[in-house]
Amino acid sequence: MQLKVPEHQVAGHIAKDGKPGPLVDDKGRFFKPLQGDSRGENEVKFYESFSTNTEVPDHIRRFFPVYHGTQAVEGSDGAAMIVLENLLADYSKPSVMDVKMGSRTWYPDASEEYVQKCLKKDTGTTTVSAGFRISGFEVYDHKESSFWKPERKLLRGLKVDGARLTLRKFVSSNSLSDMGSKPDSAFVSSVYGGSNGVLTQLLELKTWFENQTLYHFNSCSILMVYENESILKGNDDDARPQVKLVDFAHVLDGNGVIDHNFLGGLCSFINFLRDILQSPDESAES
Amino acid sequence: MLKVPEHQVAGHIASDGKLGPLVDDQGRFFKPLQGDSRGEHEAKFYESFTSNKMVPDHIHRYFPVYHGTQLVEASDGSGKLLHLVLDDVVSGYSNPSVMDVKIGSRTWYPDVSEGYFKKCIKKDRETTTVSLGFRVSGFKIFDHQESSFWRAEKKLVLGYNADGARLALRKFVSSNSPADSNSTPPNCAFASEVYGGPNGILVQLLELKEWFETQTLYHFNSCSILMTYENESILMKGGDDDVQAARAQVKLVDFAHVLDGSGVIDHNFLGGLCSFIKFIKDILQSVDKRDETETSPLENGN
Repeated sequence: MQLKVPEHQVAGHIAKDGKPGPLVDDKGRFFKPLQGDSRGENEVKFYESFSTNTEVPDHIRRFFPVYHGTQAVEGSDGAAMIVLENLLADYSKPSVMDVKMGSRTWYPDASEEYVQKCLKKDTGTTTVSAGFRISGFEVYDHKESSFWKPERKLLRGLKVDGARLTLRKFVSSNSLSDMGSKPDSAFVSSVYGGSNGVLTQLLELKTWFENQTLYHFNSCSILMVYENESILKGNDDDARPQVKLVDFAHVLDGNGVIDHNFLGGLCSFINFLRDILQSPDESAES
Repeated sequence: MLKVPEHQVAGHIASDGKLGPLVDDQGRFFKPLQGDSRGEHEAKFYESFTSNKMVPDHIHRYFPVYHGTQLVEASDGSGKLLHLVLDDVVSGYSNPSVMDVKIGSRTWYPDVSEGYFKKCIKKDRETTTVSLGFRVSGFKIFDHQESSFWRAEKKLVLGYNADGARLALRKFVSSNSPADSNSTPPNCAFASEVYGGPNGILVQLLELKEWFETQTLYHFNSCSILMTYENESILMKGGDDDVQAARAQVKLVDFAHVLDGSGVIDHNFLGGLCSFIKFIKDILQSVDKRDETETSPLENGN
């Protein structure tokens, strides 16, 4: 089994200085190292609970990576890794964006240190103001014929207008690395819109979140993916946009309460995309 | 002649030497503009809201009607002070049960002072604000056994956890004595009339929720939802119009910390509102289930 570093990871831990990062194989699987201090365990616990939870409606499962248990992997000091579906396996030139949902990334009962750390980051980003923040993205620039990934520093400094601009850039074909250029929103309808687009999928998730009290998805992200190869071939309708929830290290039991934190952020994110769909021309802001 | 409102459940209460709101006998509510800029800020909100053409007509019913400001003799005897003049939202009720619920998983907001932020977040974490997305600020219910009003103690209310909040919401629509704290569970006798029905609390909250999903005009930081219903008609139950008789009402109140939406929805309020809606829905469902099991033996017997 040949394992290699994933090409298109946009957020989260990467392999660095001997510390393991995620790997992918050629069979559509993604290997995520178990993070230290019980976070990895917690994520496994979530996947185990979720994959067998009969209260999760079938149509909601499509928004979650398929879980294949844990496995010790050669070359990672025998450390266990979570085996998941590689969400990008079926894409040849995917544009990917990771958006962390919720107006707070901390939660009751977290350590004081963790709460303070999260609060600082939340107030410094669009988490508090918009209910979500863009953690990372990589987008295919059709004019440059190459992928562009911004520096993390750039993302952390984004305010509401910057987030809005970035969400437009994500579905644009022109000069993306030039922060001063106006995005053309060329693929907004094929990616955000349509009966299988991102917005439709998010609205389905929203309905579930209005009632589900099973889990609180603290610090989870929504991953948006779409295919550029088909767009390059002139098939804009074949963009295959997809929404997935990822990163479950801090998921807790719902205990009879809905995940109002995630839901509020999700509704805000939905509204941003709706605005972009309704007025792809940046200057027509309501 | 101005007097202390009978049915206030949260916020500053006018009493000997204390500054608080007053009511007249024409259905008007006078709220003193306090020293710091909060009062002015609230007046500015009302002025903006009242004339804002982007607010749909059907949403105005959820807000107190504003009648400008007026110099009025302050309740603490300090002389004439500028007051906000509003319609008293409970003036049309003779024996109202009232509950104030502060909506949102945080009561602070960006750019507040460090001191205010620390004060808010401490309270948010100590109450159900962080965990549930709302907290019960206060309530009073008509005790049908004692024929008198029962008011929840502030300390008790602020100490609620999720179960406490759930219990309070059930007590709010029950006819058995609220003072009977933990022995008898609340019977939720009026849940269907107050929370349910085509004009009940749930329907009104759902209408508000729909507006909050797209409105980017205002962020209602630290605002409350005030729920009111009439006990008088329930006391004289037996008529055909029980549902209308309760006249359950939802109003948004307390706008001292409202800010411009700046193109973003009020996700803080909306998240809390959705959580609150779920609590109400759960109570209605449990009542429906109970009513079903209570009637089915009869049907089976036939």
